[in-house]
Amino acid sequence: MFLSKLREALICLKAGRVTLRYPFAPREPKPGFRGKITIDADLCFGCGGCANVCPANVIVVSDAEQHTRTLEFYWRRCTYCGRCEEVCPEKAIHLSQQFETATNAPEDMYMRLKVFMGPCQRCGRCFPPPTVLDRMMKTGFREGLRGGNV
Amino acid sequence: MATTTIDRATGVKEAIAACCDGALLSATQPSPDTLQFAIEKTVMRAIVASLVDNFEARFLISVGTDKRPITGDFAVSHVFSLDHDHLYVLLESPVSEKDPRIDSITEVIPGADWAEREFRDAIGVHPDGHPDPRRLLLADDWPEGVFPLRKDVPYNYQPPRAENVRPQMREPPAGASVLPIGPFFPVLEEPAYWRMFVEGETVVGCDTRIFYNHRGIEKLGESALTYNEIPYLAERICGICGFIHSTCYCQAVEKAAGIDVPRRAKYIRTIMLELERIHSHLLWLGIAGHIIGFDTVLMQIWRIREPVMWLCEEISGNRKTYGMNTVGGLRRDLPDQIKPKLLETLAAVEKEAIAVRNAIVGDTTLQARTKGVGPLTHEWAKKICAVGPPARASGVAIDARIDHPYAAYDEVPPRIATQEAGDTWARVLVRVAELLESIRLVREALLALPQSPIRAEIKEDIPPGRVGVSVVEAPRGEAIHIVLTGGHNRPYRWRVRAPTYPNLQALSAMVAGANIADVPITLGSLDPCFSCTERLETVDPRTRKVRVYSRGELLEISRSRTRGGGAR
Amino acid sequence: MTLWLIKTSLFCLLNVMIALFLSPLCEGIMRKLRAALHSRFGPPITQPYWDLLKLLGKEDLRSTGGIVYALMPAATLASVLLLAALVPMGVAAPLAFAGDFIVVLYVATMSSVLIMLIGFASASPYASIGSSREMMMLLSVEPILAVALCVGAFKAKTLALVGIVNWQEQNGPSISMAIAGVAFFLALQAVAGKLPFDIAEADQEIMGGPLVEQSGPRLALIRWAMWAKQLVLAFLLVEVFFPWPHFGTGLDLVATLVKVLMVLVLVMLIDVVNPRLRIDQAMGYFMRVGVSSLAALAFAVIGK
Repeated sequence: MFLSKLREALICLKAGRVTLRYPFAPREPKPGFRGKITIDADLCFGCGGCANVCPANVIVVSDAEQHTRTLEFYWRRCTYCGRCEEVCPEKAIHLSQQFETATNAPEDMYMRLKVFMGPCQRCGRCFPPPTVLDRMMKTGFREGLRGGNV
Repeated sequence: MATTTIDRATGVKEAIAACCDGALLSATQPSPDTLQFAIEKTVMRAIVASLVDNFEARFLISVGTDKRPITGDFAVSHVFSLDHDHLYVLLESPVSEKDPRIDSITEVIPGADWAEREFRDAIGVHPDGHPDPRRLLLADDWPEGVFPLRKDVPYNYQPPRAENVRPQMREPPAGASVLPIGPFFPVLEEPAYWRMFVEGETVVGCDTRIFYNHRGIEKLGESALTYNEIPYLAERICGICGFIHSTCYCQAVEKAAGIDVPRRAKYIRTIMLELERIHSHLLWLGIAGHIIGFDTVLMQIWRIREPVMWLCEEISGNRKTYGMNTVGGLRRDLPDQIKPKLLETLAAVEKEAIAVRNAIVGDTTLQARTKGVGPLTHEWAKKICAVGPPARASGVAIDARIDHPYAAYDEVPPRIATQEAGDTWARVLVRVAELLESIRLVREALLALPQSPIRAEIKEDIPPGRVGVSVVEAPRGEAIHIVLTGGHNRPYRWRVRAPTYPNLQALSAMVAGANIADVPITLGSLDPCFSCTERLETVDPRTRKVRVYSRGELLEISRSRTRGGGAR
Repeated sequence: MTLWLIKTSLFCLLNVMIALFLSPLCEGIMRKLRAALHSRFGPPITQPYWDLLKLLGKEDLRSTGGIVYALMPAATLASVLLLAALVPMGVAAPLAFAGDFIVVLYVATMSSVLIMLIGFASASPYASIGSSREMMMLLSVEPILAVALCVGAFKAKTLALVGIVNWQEQNGPSISMAIAGVAFFLALQAVAGKLPFDIAEADQEIMGGPLVEQSGPRLALIRWAMWAKQLVLAFLLVEVFFPWPHFGTGLDLVATLVKVLMVLVLVMLIDVVNPRLRIDQAMGYFMRVGVSSLAALAFAVIGK
């Protein structure tokens, strides 16, 4: 019995101390880590594909104003699945390396993006280009568009 | 291999059809390994008994479905596995709305206890003759007559709040007092209430109330999500076997829709599944040490485990919720440069795991706490339909990777580890053996990894009305997903059974007559994963309903409970 | 007379100060050692002081009424400090008198009994189980302490602790005292509440045992009492059973401190490599230790 205790003690001593000094020292995640979403507002043209595929309904698209499509992002429900990044045709939305997303200010968890759109000449409402939508319909994502957004 | 399965399946199908006599409504074969029989509900019990006696069928789970929009009736289905023939058998009975009752099969199969209570709570079909028809799934203040999995109840239904409602728990026998383990207890990671009846330090009886964390995942899957969004939900059924659930679900849909997954995807799924088994078993060994007070084992084994988590982070982008599965294959490939790192990390883990095993094998104080503790006899393990390491440690040699091969296990078969003693020490040995075996499997799979696309292209919509049954061997045992496809790009019914579900039912027999000090380690040795077992009700974030208790209210509630007679 | 009074009170104060203010530091060192064996850094060695400060600043929640229940934690600490004044720490104990080793045994038991009573006074079933376990441990372990000290008394032919210490210093090591010392050490492991014998406060099994309902200042005082007790009993062990080398000057205190630290390090090492035993297994174990300590008595009788 003493031999096994000795072996256990030796395993402990040989290992040394391995805990990281985080948060007193930084801890970089590996490349390819799925962290907080970042959006390049210049690239986004408001197709709403990300809203279509998000399983947690983080992204809400609305066309309340003329010529402007509003995309609202409620980050607190994001599950970091990366479907929005997969679908975006312009690579505007991207999962960064940031994992330190704790906050006690709810405003940090919300973002609103307004995109100027081309309007339909007959009814004046905005529409995304048809070719992008058609492409998305075929690759097995959610069937149909969310009501009221087109 | 395929042709012999089909021949065998046809033979079994005819044999079972013959048993049913005139009560057979239909006999179909939705997949080469799945047989579905629709029978009258009056003969269900007799046919179940005959399946168990004559065909050595092992009960898996029951499914209650509200098929009123399709056929006008409810449908209760009991699912069995014929392990030696590698077949699933579904016995379905239509149950009319006007007479929502069916004979209980719990007397024939004790393991069906919770499954029947569950379909009673979910769709309202009452199992006649059930020995313990209390609520299982639903909260005690959920109103009567509202059955969540019926199609007319919306997924975000919020019933009115009830006050002063308690679970109906049994009273202790004469001379015994009550020791509550849970809902809050240091070694339980999730809330569950075991009411132990104790005399001194010996347990004389036990009553259970769990499902505090029921989340309504099955209902969500049928109402608010589409086929390709469900893997992300399935991944979150459990905090440690997420990949197992998402794989199992995807496999069920792929089977139902007849989608062929490319070989590379199968191999990578196998690798990730085995990696998950490795880190889950290491986690469990640490927790088992912690439960008996041996924190050094906890710290050291988790130190050994950490590189595996970093590896998973590098492969999938996250330590635990990999998000790699999708219907038809994978969304994220295994990069080639990760292979040498994978092999290196596994070699280090293997070396350290063997060193720890050699150290604890001679440790008599450790064995004093685990040998002979929490015995699960071979017969009871079979009756209660236990799965996974607890079953294998009692000599029941079942393993989903061998009984119903999936992913790449037909090409990379594992060797099953069994023990005969059925106590906690046997379960430790089984898990250590499986851990080392998983390391070997990953190496083999990596060596044989083919080059091919990782995702099958799905050109058409998935047709409705198809059934797919899929099992995956989770670290805790066999997990089952059953999918009945529906319209609007989502399942009509999605049934999940986690491995801890049958294993928890075995607990009361395992702690009978034990010392209280042995109860936590017995429970821990089952490796219970309550999140898997319970699938909790969600709150719709759009309504933003939040109830905050003030400190004064909380104090008052806890003081009034104490004044009202100590522990319940 | 007054000089004697002043000298006694000064030494009393010294002993009490050592017990009070050195014990959190010793506990901190033990925690650091435990962390090192866990392959982690662990808290700083002054952490127990911060723990006490934090707890003392919290609200005093009591689950039962009555002045007796309210004063119990303070009484526990007071009994341990009384024990500290009776135990020699490098010099003769300030309150030493003939026959004091019997008083030492009683006072040592007092704090365990008080913790047991606190457990029984709580309404929680966990506390009752913890207290009954504490009682069983008490019944198993205290006789061993008594027998070990009896061996010393037998050899030194005196019932005064200082007499036993002097006899040991003059006569060097002997078999009976060595066996008695080891038995005392094993009993110390249980009294200090360290694995494999921390059964009464098993937090994984019974949520903290008798202390489950204590919080804030009450918990601070009880914890302090437990740390002080382990230090004081370690001093007793070192002084009575291993008092060599003996300098006869103030260096004695330093030497004793070093030896006490070594004893506590050994206690921690045993703690780290063991799981917790069940109460019936622990009682069986101490029964065997008790029999061995009776063997020590037998050796003492035949003069070895």
